[in-house]
Amino acid sequence: MSEHPVRLVVTDDLARKRLTVGFRLILVIPHSIWLGIWSVGAFFAALANWTATLVVGRPPEGLHRFLSLYVKYATHVYSYLYLAADPYPQFDGRPGYPVDVEIAVPERQRRLTVAFRLLLALPALLLVASLFGAPSAGYNRLGSGRGGGTFYYAFGVAHIAAILGWFAALAARRMPRGLRDAVAWGVAYGAQLWAYLLVLTSRYPDCDPEVLLGELPSRDDPIAMRIDDDLRRSRLTVFFRLLLAFPHLVWLTLWAVLAFLVAIANWLATLVRGESPEALHRFLAAYVRYQTHVYAFILLVVNPFPGFVGRADSYPAELEVAARARQNRWTVAFRLLLALPAWLAASAYGSVLWTVAFLAWFAALVTGRMPRSLRNAGAHALRYTAQVNGYTFLLTDAYPYTGPCRMPGLTALAPASTPALVD
Amino acid sequence: MVAAIALVAAAGLWALAAHELWRSSVPGGLPLPRVDPHRFFSSSFLRASASFDRFLEIDELLASVTLLAVLAAYAWRGHRLLRESAAGRIGSGILLGMLGFALVWLAQVPFGLAAVWWERRHGVSHEGYVASLFSSFFALGGRFLFVALALAIAMALAGALRRWWWLAAAPLFAGLALLSTFLSIYLIPNTHGLRDPTVAADARSLAVIERVPDTKVLEQTVSRSVTAPNAEAVGLGPTRRVVLWDTLLDGRFSRKEIRIVTAHELGHIAHGHLLRRVGWLALFLLPATALVALATRRRGGLARPEAVPLALLVFVALQLLTLPLWTLVSRHEETEADWSALQATHEPATARSLFARLATTSLSDPEPPAWAYVLYADHPTISQRIAMTQAWQKRAAGR
Repeated sequence: MSEHPVRLVVTDDLARKRLTVGFRLILVIPHSIWLGIWSVGAFFAALANWTATLVVGRPPEGLHRFLSLYVKYATHVYSYLYLAADPYPQFDGRPGYPVDVEIAVPERQRRLTVAFRLLLALPALLLVASLFGAPSAGYNRLGSGRGGGTFYYAFGVAHIAAILGWFAALAARRMPRGLRDAVAWGVAYGAQLWAYLLVLTSRYPDCDPEVLLGELPSRDDPIAMRIDDDLRRSRLTVFFRLLLAFPHLVWLTLWAVLAFLVAIANWLATLVRGESPEALHRFLAAYVRYQTHVYAFILLVVNPFPGFVGRADSYPAELEVAARARQNRWTVAFRLLLALPAWLAASAYGSVLWTVAFLAWFAALVTGRMPRSLRNAGAHALRYTAQVNGYTFLLTDAYPYTGPCRMPGLTALAPASTPALVD
Repeated sequence: MVAAIALVAAAGLWALAAHELWRSSVPGGLPLPRVDPHRFFSSSFLRASASFDRFLEIDELLASVTLLAVLAAYAWRGHRLLRESAAGRIGSGILLGMLGFALVWLAQVPFGLAAVWWERRHGVSHEGYVASLFSSFFALGGRFLFVALALAIAMALAGALRRWWWLAAAPLFAGLALLSTFLSIYLIPNTHGLRDPTVAADARSLAVIERVPDTKVLEQTVSRSVTAPNAEAVGLGPTRRVVLWDTLLDGRFSRKEIRIVTAHELGHIAHGHLLRRVGWLALFLLPATALVALATRRRGGLARPEAVPLALLVFVALQLLTLPLWTLVSRHEETEADWSALQATHEPATARSLFARLATTSLSDPEPPAWAYVLYADHPTISQRIAMTQAWQKRAAGR
């Protein structure tokens, strides 16, 4: 598989200036106005580009260049707004910004996919809402009265990471790498989606963070995940996946009641001794591992039906939990409070997980295979959720790593010849 | 020799228990007069109800044949699905059990939809096709839970007790059935107290007459999807209740007719039919689990997940084979409940009109053919029920 024609290039050094971080929302106003004006032009250019590509099978050079600049500029503005980069962006989308996007030169596109581009983009639009955030509509019914439509803004992973990053950058003058990469993941996917929608490329957006961000950091976290999966899925178990998980969900609920009580005991013991008792650590590790196995099964991250005891090394989505270690008593005492930001990010990742599973269900049912990009996105989200659970249950005092990181077993793309890029 | 004696003794005990469970308060040898359905129903209704019931019965028969065919194929090839599991011995068995029923569900979808189409066409139900499909799909989730629990118990016992697991499993399953009967009221949705004070007052007085004064009578809202009237008795001891569908209380039935229905359901409770049903189940389970144990020996016994598809086939086949016995027991209990209602209300004429009306509203054939009666009739036929009222009247007049 060749490299995606729309690629994010991150050269940001994570350093932030408190002054520009503090007033970021105000500072971005001129760019927002300019982006709005540019969007009107881009809309008409996109219509012309769509028609021309439909007729000649390839985007005209001029329109492609103009729309590419628009996508690049939007990427700069959003990266600045969401604190993925620090310098104030230029107004013309010129290259060299610390979070930049490279778009390949125009190439032939299949007319059929051009004609139905908007329809084909629907799954990616769903996913971008959870990765990046998007306006959403819902329907609510209050009591016995008449229901009505409601519009709200769905916060994606990028939004939550930006909010958390704002506090972190103000305090430390640095954007934590995990938060920056989480934002970059959403921004990069958004850029690929816009390039697809504006008919700059026919390549479908790829939500695999390794594809979007390039090399991911290798980490040595006390709670880590390993995937051993060949992407094959049984159509039968995919179709009935949710129902097949019923016994697990009942069992997990019963186990959760006990885990809650054990967690309280573990909190008290760790506060007193500075270290979790071995038996409690083992029990809670098995619970978090089992929970991860069940979610990995339900959400199609892996294929086989999991066991009921959360045994180590028993499942293709394996959670590795380090042995108990001494923990700072202060972080133990205020663990729930400290875990709140992580829970906020975990809820955003939860929405990624369910969206991925929803889309993957159809794909796996039709093809008998899990799309690699969806599997990898799901695996990263699941790893973060497991780390948050482990942190909450005092399995470790290492804070969950918000960004995507290298995970053993997730297939990396083979290096391929890089197509000529527009810069 | 010892085994033969034990087998004979067990069979004797089994027969004795069955005899005890068969006891009834309906006078033995009660002669039922021959009832001509044309006296109560028009010819067009008799034709329409026969056609309506035959379609549904043939549909069910075909669904049962499909069920057996799917499970037979599954018993042959189902063990291949073991590669979809990382759940160990018991977990894999549970998965194979659930997948067996999942395949059966898929194969039976057309029959379910055909039944919905037929009932809608005759105005007996107005449940939508999609709603019916979804409700059956999610009901499958409940079945999965049941299968998972049953297999977890059976396989754990088979792992520990080897060939003799069924001796422990049968009473354990019967105990679970008892628990499930006890808790069944909590699984019935949309129930509330009776809204009509006269119906509530009648229910209280009937409960006293039938010597079950603590039994509560509830109303269940089902009219959103069903038009046919119905009622049921559920629970044991402190959880026993009579549930009347709101389609019975919507004004189509007179107060006296509702009294008969209430008395009938209270009769089930007064004569301990729910408890007796668990007793019958225990009597079925003992030989059935023994046969499952025997059949699965070739595949290493039920302790091994590979044996689960075959165990499903044997168990379901036994259930289907004993269906005529189950309907016989059910008809026997329904007859006793009818008798009990007559004893409590002394209203044979109302009972006759009620049964006739139940037939017309449910489009129920008053005299089904023998095969349909043996296989599917869990109540006496309408003609038999009307005959029962006449027999009761004659007996009361003769006293």
